[in-house]
Amino acid sequence: MAQMEEILRALLRRALSEHGGEARVLTGVTIESGWRRFEPRLCAEFSDGYRAWQNLRPGACFAFCERHGVWDIAALRDVLLQEMRRMHARMLRDDAVERAGQRGSWFAALLRRVRSGLTRARRGRRRLPRMETAFRRHFLEESSEAWERGLQLLEEHLSPEQRRQYDASGYFDVTGGTSGKRYRIRQGSSMNIEQLDKRGRRVCTLCFMPAGRLVTGDVMLAQKVALEVFEREALKIANKFY
Amino acid sequence: MGVQIVMDRSGDTRHEFDLTDLKAVALAEQRFQQLTGKGFRAVALGKNGSPGKLMRDFDPTVEQSLFIPQLQGG
Repeated sequence: MAQMEEILRALLRRALSEHGGEARVLTGVTIESGWRRFEPRLCAEFSDGYRAWQNLRPGACFAFCERHGVWDIAALRDVLLQEMRRMHARMLRDDAVERAGQRGSWFAALLRRVRSGLTRARRGRRRLPRMETAFRRHFLEESSEAWERGLQLLEEHLSPEQRRQYDASGYFDVTGGTSGKRYRIRQGSSMNIEQLDKRGRRVCTLCFMPAGRLVTGDVMLAQKVALEVFEREALKIANKFY
Repeated sequence: MGVQIVMDRSGDTRHEFDLTDLKAVALAEQRFQQLTGKGFRAVALGKNGSPGKLMRDFDPTVEQSLFIPQLQGG
């Protein structure tokens, strides 16, 4: 996980620095297969057409798949996209705080102006058709904000232990309010809950979520609250996969 | 100060109300009835991420309540 996290962080850091710290929405992740002596690469795509690549070590990728229980490319891409969006939102927030701290310095102001000029120039060269730009700005920016709000709401209502677990591993454990059984909620919106036995092994996968296409943070919080507060009802609704 | 957090597509919408303001409390109760009538589950959130409590009726003393849309199997 740590290796993969490093790879994702390096990729996002480069994207942020090349954008002059401006917020862009991460829209997709692709995995390019290796060729001869070249390693496979991970490619992140942003809403303004910008792309950034990073070499992907197969060992790190395998460990990541094992941790998240994903064994096909489509599922891996989904999990990677969710994980990267989470990291990207956090990095943007840290970046904004840092920039707010620097606002007083004239040198920082000068740098900002130069950077924004460069970004604008770059943007001009990569201009998307007008309709598409408007569409992307309207829908993707909005969903990015919702994504962050959902994540914030989830983090506000995790216990310290759950939060530590979530930060370290991308999942957290919940104790069923009625049965006392243990459940593991992984990052995701569907098929992301596992019922565990006493030894922490998976018994089955549960699938339930709130109606209305909510963002992932909201879905995970709803799942946590449901299992803790009205477990029986949630289990009645959930589909089980053994 | 009480707050009702309603999960929606924008992430969430928060409605704050003053517990000593009768008009605001009545409005909060009305919102509670409307949302639970639509199938939302109201939960009084515990502090520091501890498990909350299911709210069958409106309780103006609850500081933070979360409204979760109806659950569905996936």
